[in-house]
Amino acid sequence: MLKKIFSYFDNISFSYKTNFLIFIITTGMIGITILSEVSIFSLKHDFNNLFEKRTKSLIKLEELKDTYNVNIYDTFYDIQKGNIPYEHVTEVITLAKQLIDNNWNTYKEKLVNKDYEPSYLSSIVSKIYPIYYVPKNNILQKRTIKNIEKKITTINKLMSKILLSLINNKKSGANELVDTLYIEINSINTYITSLINYDLKLAINEKNKTDEIFDIVIIISIISIIFIFLFSIILSVIIINNFKKLHNSLEYKVDKKTTQLQQLNNSLEKKITIEVTNNRKKDIIMFQQAKLAAMGEMLQNIAHQWRQPLGSLTMIIQSFQTKMKHGKLTNDFMDRKVSDALLLSSNMSNTLDDFGNFFNPNKVKTRFLLKDCIEHSLELSKYLLEKEQISFFLFIKDDININGFYNELSHVFLNIISNSKDALIQNNKDSDKIIHIIIKKIHDRAQIIMIDNGGGISDNIIQKVFEPYYTTKYKDSGTGIGLYMSKQIIEKHMLGTISCRNVKHRLGTRTLHNGVKFIINIPMEQKD
Amino acid sequence: MEAKDLDILQNFNILYLEDDQNLRGHTSDALEDFVNTIYPVSTSKEALDILQNNKIDVIVSDILLENENGIEFLKQLKEEKNINIPAIVTTAHADTKYLLDAIKLKVENYIIKPININELLDTLYATLLPVFQETQIQKNNNIIKTISAITDSKQVEVINYIFDNLSNDNIFIGSYSDIMMEVNISKPTLIKLFKELSNKEIVTKVQHKTYRFDEQALEKLS
Repeated sequence: MLKKIFSYFDNISFSYKTNFLIFIITTGMIGITILSEVSIFSLKHDFNNLFEKRTKSLIKLEELKDTYNVNIYDTFYDIQKGNIPYEHVTEVITLAKQLIDNNWNTYKEKLVNKDYEPSYLSSIVSKIYPIYYVPKNNILQKRTIKNIEKKITTINKLMSKILLSLINNKKSGANELVDTLYIEINSINTYITSLINYDLKLAINEKNKTDEIFDIVIIISIISIIFIFLFSIILSVIIINNFKKLHNSLEYKVDKKTTQLQQLNNSLEKKITIEVTNNRKKDIIMFQQAKLAAMGEMLQNIAHQWRQPLGSLTMIIQSFQTKMKHGKLTNDFMDRKVSDALLLSSNMSNTLDDFGNFFNPNKVKTRFLLKDCIEHSLELSKYLLEKEQISFFLFIKDDININGFYNELSHVFLNIISNSKDALIQNNKDSDKIIHIIIKKIHDRAQIIMIDNGGGISDNIIQKVFEPYYTTKYKDSGTGIGLYMSKQIIEKHMLGTISCRNVKHRLGTRTLHNGVKFIINIPMEQKD
Repeated sequence: MEAKDLDILQNFNILYLEDDQNLRGHTSDALEDFVNTIYPVSTSKEALDILQNNKIDVIVSDILLENENGIEFLKQLKEEKNINIPAIVTTAHADTKYLLDAIKLKVENYIIKPININELLDTLYATLLPVFQETQIQKNNNIIKTISAITDSKQVEVINYIFDNLSNDNIFIGSYSDIMMEVNISKPTLIKLFKELSNKEIVTKVQHKTYRFDEQALEKLS
């Protein structure tokens, strides 16, 4: 049974438990407080009652007794002795009568007065809890009271007779009557004393009763306090256990989750490192591809630049043979051809140097003319531009000296020219293909503007052109890295800006062309 | 393969169109010993000028010229000026695009740069040989006609008949009477002619009514 209750408490939810505990403690406290207050007041009331009802009535009875003993008995004794005059006696007797009436009536009133009913609490307690109780001997009391009343009237009559005989100066008759009166007074005194005893007994009874009620109340409150105390302790223990359980389970859960998280973290770290290395590899591959693509183009340029002198050299060598056959190999011819051949080969060597410099990862900042760099870039891409019949114009508004990376900047120009070239080939097959390059000075910046009439870039693509691996070209022609690299070079290495937008431009012709405008701003003084 | 007689090139004039000054000079230097005259030019305008004032037998042209295209120039020549001169194109580009254009124009040949002079000479030879042979045949015809005009025409007619009836392996089958039915000639004259041919081993009797023509014998005579 107890176990069931405990298990029931164990199983109910935590908030119910706490609420229950709070409810129990609160109601217990309130109950105890109310109970103690009520019992204190009730007991006080009961004690008051006891005192008022019993003691006062006893006092009245005592007074009644005294009146009979002192006033009447003594007065009549004095009369017998003849110590006091008659007039005096009448007065005293009348007063005594009044006193007796008064006290007697007060006593009787007290008997029936509702004010002296026992308190509600004690009546309930006595109802619930049968107390050993001496029942009121009402009949005895009533009879005694009746007897007393009878005696009082007898005494009163006797006194009137005595007084009458006294007035008539019948001293002997009066003395007899006075003796009878003495007897009557004695008997009334006996009655009164028995009534007093009776009342005292009642008072003692009631006192006992009140004591018992007090004991019961005290026991009840002690029991309830103990009960509440125990209940609170048990509940607290349950709740503390619950806390412990909760704490343990939470700790367990947290530990579990923590280990899971750690595992996840570890695997994530691994994944991240793998992905990072993969990405790095990819980056390296992409950069290499971009470099290879650029090199491929350069190689085409070199091939072109070499083709002509190579043809001439071949012819010179063969001409020796043919001249020899015809016997016309003169010293003069030989000298002429050899000097020509040497000139051609030195040109070829220069070409190689040009491209070699371009690919040299020159990481030293140098001071150079922006014009030279752009002209060099145009020279390098000239062959491909001419092959595609693209006309290009360079407008130099200011001669600008720049301190920076010559080759990297050249890469950027080559890249943008190459992009324009591709756009022109793709989108502008019929009309003139034009690229304009403008160099000017704006405050302390050099601005390079490159415009083509290749039709422009569509709006959803133009925002992404500087992002890595973004390409609109076929896989073989574009790596998507060129403009990204250009942006890196301009922004990170040259501390400048690069942007592009679609424009309409005449480009020196009569009609408006759609095209792309690249704007590069480079600060003229580069800080190291 | 028969050895080429590059000397026949000495009879021809070449127009050489090439925009690279160096190559033009050196190629001209190499070619000048083999041909009659070489006219090196750098633009189509100069080329037209030369064509109008000189007899040109073959054009050698580069495809990619300065702001021009050699194939376009040749096309213009053939279609607009109606000048049909054999042409050889040289190019650095082994590009099918140009090759197709060249074939359409019936360009004689196509040489990839750098130019191998022997290849160029062979190509020139191959291109010019039919022209040379045609002139040569024309010349021989003229010689025969001239000779027959001043010698006995009957004998020439007989020789003509024999050559007309030669089989592929240079065998002539026929009797004197067969010849006499075609050519109005006396039998003794005919016998004398065959004897003379036989003595010079030009036409020898193999068996009855069968004769062999020996080309080698002609070489020995001259």
